[in-house]
Amino acid sequence: MNIDFERISELITKGQIEQLQEQTNQAIETGTEPAILLNKGLLPGMDKVGQLWRNGDMFMPEVLRSAKAMSKAMDILRPHLSKDDMGSAGKMVLGTVAGDLHDIGKDLAGMMFEGAGYEVLNIGIDQPNEAFVNAAIEHKPDVLGMSALLTTTMPRMGEVINSLKESGIRDEMAVIIGGAPVTKEFADEIGADLYAPNAGSAVELTKQYFAQNNS
Amino acid sequence: MKINQQINKSTQFKVLSEDQIEQIFFASLEVLEQTGGQIFHEEALTLFKNSNAVVNGNTVRIPPFMVEEALNFYPRKITLRGRDKKNLLSLQKDTVAFGTGSDLPFTYDRETGERRRTRYQDVKNAGKLVDALSHYDFLMSHGIVGDAPNPQTYDRHQFMAMVENNTKPMVVTSVDGEGLEDLWKMGCLIQGGEEEFRLNPLFVAYIEPISPLKNDRTAVEKLLFAAEKKIPAMYTPCPSSGATAPATMAGMLVQSLAETLLASVLCHLKNPGMPLIMGGVTTLLDMKMSTYSYGAPELSLASAANTDISKWLNLIMFSTGGCSDSKILDEQAAAEQMTSLFYSYLSGANLIHDVGYIDHGTNASLESLVLNQEMMGLVKQFGKGINTDDDHLALELIEKQGPGGEYVTTDHTFNHWKEWYLPDLQDRSDYETWVANGSKTMGDRVKERTQDLLDNYQPKQMTQELKQELKKICDDADKRHA
Ligand code: B1M
Repeated sequence: MNIDFERISELITKGQIEQLQEQTNQAIETGTEPAILLNKGLLPGMDKVGQLWRNGDMFMPEVLRSAKAMSKAMDILRPHLSKDDMGSAGKMVLGTVAGDLHDIGKDLAGMMFEGAGYEVLNIGIDQPNEAFVNAAIEHKPDVLGMSALLTTTMPRMGEVINSLKESGIRDEMAVIIGGAPVTKEFADEIGADLYAPNAGSAVELTKQYFAQNNS
Repeated sequence: MKINQQINKSTQFKVLSEDQIEQIFFASLEVLEQTGGQIFHEEALTLFKNSNAVVNGNTVRIPPFMVEEALNFYPRKITLRGRDKKNLLSLQKDTVAFGTGSDLPFTYDRETGERRRTRYQDVKNAGKLVDALSHYDFLMSHGIVGDAPNPQTYDRHQFMAMVENNTKPMVVTSVDGEGLEDLWKMGCLIQGGEEEFRLNPLFVAYIEPISPLKNDRTAVEKLLFAAEKKIPAMYTPCPSSGATAPATMAGMLVQSLAETLLASVLCHLKNPGMPLIMGGVTTLLDMKMSTYSYGAPELSLASAANTDISKWLNLIMFSTGGCSDSKILDEQAAAEQMTSLFYSYLSGANLIHDVGYIDHGTNASLESLVLNQEMMGLVKQFGKGINTDDDHLALELIEKQGPGGEYVTTDHTFNHWKEWYLPDLQDRSDYETWVANGSKTMGDRVKERTQDLLDNYQPKQMTQELKQELKKICDDADKRHA
């Protein structure tokens, strides 16, 4: 069967979840190479979404619908993909630090990463430092994301980074942080790899980071 | 004699009809009955278990009659009293008070022009300005004391920074129940004892649920402590429509009312008659920038509707106005702040907070506080409405001066022009005068006034003894948390 990759991309930009799932299943059943489906169909669709979003032609509810479509398609595709096939779209552990109950920004960031093909393990709000470290040890994520919305809870992010160092796994992942009182300077101070001022830029910056660091 | 007269002593403004309020109220009751709320606090769960509510794990569902019963007990009037005894503030239906917001992480440094973290001195300065500016009736910290010795005790230091330079009633934020207890102890010292504080509290405690329908441990801990000591407290939902509440204003109102009503039942179970205040920062998540908007017109609309509901429920209302998403104090800031000042004032909410906020609740600006002083003046004038008694209809005068006459020199003008709003920083001069005075923009005048007040205004100070006693509570807290 001939797979119409453009159609797949369009299902992503339009956020047509069920139809996309159907098409993805069909493509796999009829022997389409999963990596090709990912690279020619799904990812270009999400790239388009990213572009429209940056230009202000697409809005949050639409973007998140597309991201959900992508994520559902990835659930189907993932078992058929090797680590290499996945490229930068790897695994992410994500949470809000201890003492902090804000979660909207974190969740939006998580959904954007799912939209970029990431498998996101959202460990929730008010997570003690050990929870981040343990999740990192257990799940070996490519990216560890932390969110803090309070001046009083920001220091937890630096502590987690230190614990990662102590556990000897700091260099195995990129650490990205965000939240209203967080700044680029603060991220540098505590030795995070990335600071994202908003959920949209988080994925973009992460992609750039991996492109630079893998070349 | 005239019959069937209806005289509007002030401007009238209402968003919801009584039938609409009832629709929202009954819908909220259904939410509490069918969906319920989650509570993460043992004592609160026990209180509900021992009542007619249905508790499953952390989820509590509440029958409507419990809500109706609780609502009968809340005060319709609370009189706050500032550190200076003459600063009384009666919270009652349609009496409006304006005040700042709290805890802004950043501040524009007025010397360097750069954004930096907010410090103790910034909060002290905000307290000074609010003390000096007549249209502010209460103080919230404006900024957060980012240089406090310990994040776990910052609330005590923040309160200290507030009371140092300010003699008006306050609304305070706290870290947890223990923090609120310390603030209350400090408040009692200032008011002259627990009983005095109970009669005329210095402050209202600011507490929030987590929309949708979740109540975390620290929030409930504060609420129960406030109930126990009869400290006025607001439980103010901060939903973002489209993210943590339905994208429709009505749906957001239903959900936040359910959150408020759950708190009203909980407080009633703990200590009937505690002074609970209804609240709400009801706004939306901007779908382009994904920010929690303080400048959206929907904030004003939903807040005014919420105030309509509060009056119908006989609850005192804590609302929001004078705030903006603009990164700096510019045209956008003024437009947005004015919009929400206007509608919040007309709605008749009792405590309107966040006046002066810019950068969607993340940036503090002392100049913004000064600009809003003028804007509150304008708004209040509009609220006064039109007096139509014989003297104001001025029939006799019109006849006397006749066609082609003048009014500038009449006694009537001499007596009445002072009812008008007298501009302070607003410029109404002619062009040449404006140029002669230095061609200053509103921004320039606001800057000058801010500096002038910071340099020259002298707020009434506390005695050294009182200061020492307050400081001891801060020090003890720091020791406990060292
Ligand atoms: C991993 O990678 C990434 C990448 C990007 C990431 C990221 C992670 N995380 C975030 N980003 C970035 O991308 C997102 C999308 O673009 C952005 O995320 P944000 O989360 O910033 O943006 C969201 C999409 C929308 N923004 C929001 O949802 C936050 C809005 C504001 C108003 C806010 C809200 C709504 C709430 N609050 Co809170 N709250 C405020 C906020 C003021 C503000 N404008 O930030 C802030 C953060 N709160 C504050 C305070 C004081 C508090 N709050 C509290 C509680 C709450 C609510 C529960 C009521 C509610 C949160 C509900 C929820 N489910 O999250 C209390 C603390 C509770 C606790 N222990 O956490 C309490 C302490 C109040 C009290 N005394 O009770 C202030 C912080 C002060 C400070 N300097 O520390 C505050 C700035 C408001 C203020 N001026 O008072 C970016 O930051």
